[in-house]
Amino acid sequence: MFIEIIDVIISGLINGSVYALMAVGLTLIYGVSKAFNFAYGSFYSLGGYIAFLLFSIPFFNNYFVVLCLAAPVLLIFGFFIEKLLVAPLRKRDDWEVKVMMITLGLALFLDNSYQVVFGARMKSLPSMLEGNFEMGEFILSYQDVMIFIFSIGGILLFRWFLNNTRTGMSVRAVAQNPAGAQIVGIPKDFVFAATFAISTVMVGMGGILLAQKYFITPAGGWDILVKAWVITAFGGMGSIKGGLYAAFIVGMLEAFVGWYFGMTWTLIALFAVLLTTLAVRPQGLMGKWG
Amino acid sequence: MENKRITIFLAVIWGVVAILPVFFGSTNFIMHILIMCLIWSVVASCWDLIMGFAGIFSFGQVAFFVIGAYSSAIISARFGVPPIFSVFIAGIITAGIGILVGLPCLKLKGAYIALVTFAVHMILEPVLKGDIGRALGTGGSRGILTIVPMNIFGYTFTSSDPIPYFYLLFLVAVICSVIILMVIKSHWGTAFLALKDAEDFASCLGVSAFKYKLMVFALTSFLTGMIGGFYAHYVGMLSTRMLGIDLFVTLMVILVIGGVGKFPGAIIGAFITIALNEMLSPLGSYRPIILGAMVVILVLVLPDGVTGLFEKIFSTKKRGLTH
Repeated sequence: MFIEIIDVIISGLINGSVYALMAVGLTLIYGVSKAFNFAYGSFYSLGGYIAFLLFSIPFFNNYFVVLCLAAPVLLIFGFFIEKLLVAPLRKRDDWEVKVMMITLGLALFLDNSYQVVFGARMKSLPSMLEGNFEMGEFILSYQDVMIFIFSIGGILLFRWFLNNTRTGMSVRAVAQNPAGAQIVGIPKDFVFAATFAISTVMVGMGGILLAQKYFITPAGGWDILVKAWVITAFGGMGSIKGGLYAAFIVGMLEAFVGWYFGMTWTLIALFAVLLTTLAVRPQGLMGKWG
Repeated sequence: MENKRITIFLAVIWGVVAILPVFFGSTNFIMHILIMCLIWSVVASCWDLIMGFAGIFSFGQVAFFVIGAYSSAIISARFGVPPIFSVFIAGIITAGIGILVGLPCLKLKGAYIALVTFAVHMILEPVLKGDIGRALGTGGSRGILTIVPMNIFGYTFTSSDPIPYFYLLFLVAVICSVIILMVIKSHWGTAFLALKDAEDFASCLGVSAFKYKLMVFALTSFLTGMIGGFYAHYVGMLSTRMLGIDLFVTLMVILVIGGVGKFPGAIIGAFITIALNEMLSPLGSYRPIILGAMVVILVLVLPDGVTGLFEKIFSTKKRGLTH
């Protein structure tokens, strides 16, 4: 019993850390450009599929190379998607609806392209590190530890980027006051595209990390989109700190509900908690209106 | 568009649709597609009313449709209610659920509303498949395989004889579109626009956001649930596959083609999209890819849909005359 609870807590922590990585990406786009990206889940699968492709090349057969190569590919992909699809809509009054529609169309396009290219079968990635850490009944797989380290590392790297680089600072400036940022000479359009690209990298990395535990399927991203969405709304849209707390709360909640009531109840419990939170605090845990 | 022009537009559309069976009446396959067009035109118009006019990002439209379909099927099978009444009861049930969903949305904004309403969509599948659904009679993951066919005063409509069915649904669709048109024309429509454009200002002037938002939720979910009931009795079987993302996006394509907030546009969009969908079906798994690419391209190239294109053509003509 006791060991089981510890197992549940650990699985909650590990899922929470990956959710945090992905939810921060989603909340970042919303916070900076007020655009909602429906294709976010498809970018998650894209990360998994890129890693799957790279693993099939003999020379690139390790995680270090895969992560180093996948990140720039995702970065460029995200940048051009924003420039080509989202940026032209920004002039319109009703651009929020239009962005939702166009990204939904993109999601449908991408998901079904995966199905045609890779087939409907589930794909899996090799484990990052084989073996387990054992202490009596308590077992912790090294793979889980690696996933945790990489996602926390990703978040820390992102934090460093926001606080210490010029682009990161301009991202923060645009999030706080778009008009003011433009007046002082920050290229707003570039910042929008850059945040979109960074969020694509974050969710794609999440896809690569989780693909070794779960599987990559063409429509598997929808689940992730809904979870990231719930977490961002729960934590407050646009609030990175709120997203981090919410991700761990959701990860824990999911692990405990799944363990105690069964996996089918996790989604229902998630939405129940979300609705209660939104009824009391419509702006989420740490969000602001505006 | 001005009201008069919308009315003329609507009359022309329905006039053309009314005579379509004269040409296609002998082909059951085409009649089936036309019936589907009528059903989806109502669902899409309702969505347009809530999203385009009232400015509420409700993503629960398919969920309301499915709730209506299931409730009508269950009520008619369990309590022996004639389908023509069970359809209305289903509408009322759906309206009730619509109000329940609308209540938390009153305090929320933009993407949050989209999330809450989409959550209804996401939860519906496990609920219908799970123990609660089975207790209600949804048949779990198998779905409902036999549904009482529609009959009115002893006359039974069957899907093998589609022409009477077509006119029945035609009548329903016309009534629904007239209701929507009246709502848009009345002070409701003005209130919606005011709330959408400047909510704080409108509520300062005494436009009750509470009242109008709940009303639009109730009305659209009532109509959607009712047409869902008609769908259930027409198709004769239901499963949770309807909640897949495919149908949701098809509905989205209808709105994109028709134009958001350009009312009769959703009806034209429904006819174009459903027909196109059927034409693309020989392409198999490439169909959704093309559909997705189409949404992307259409949003970029034709942001106001076909209706926007018409408007542009007409307005340039008018300018030409006055000069």
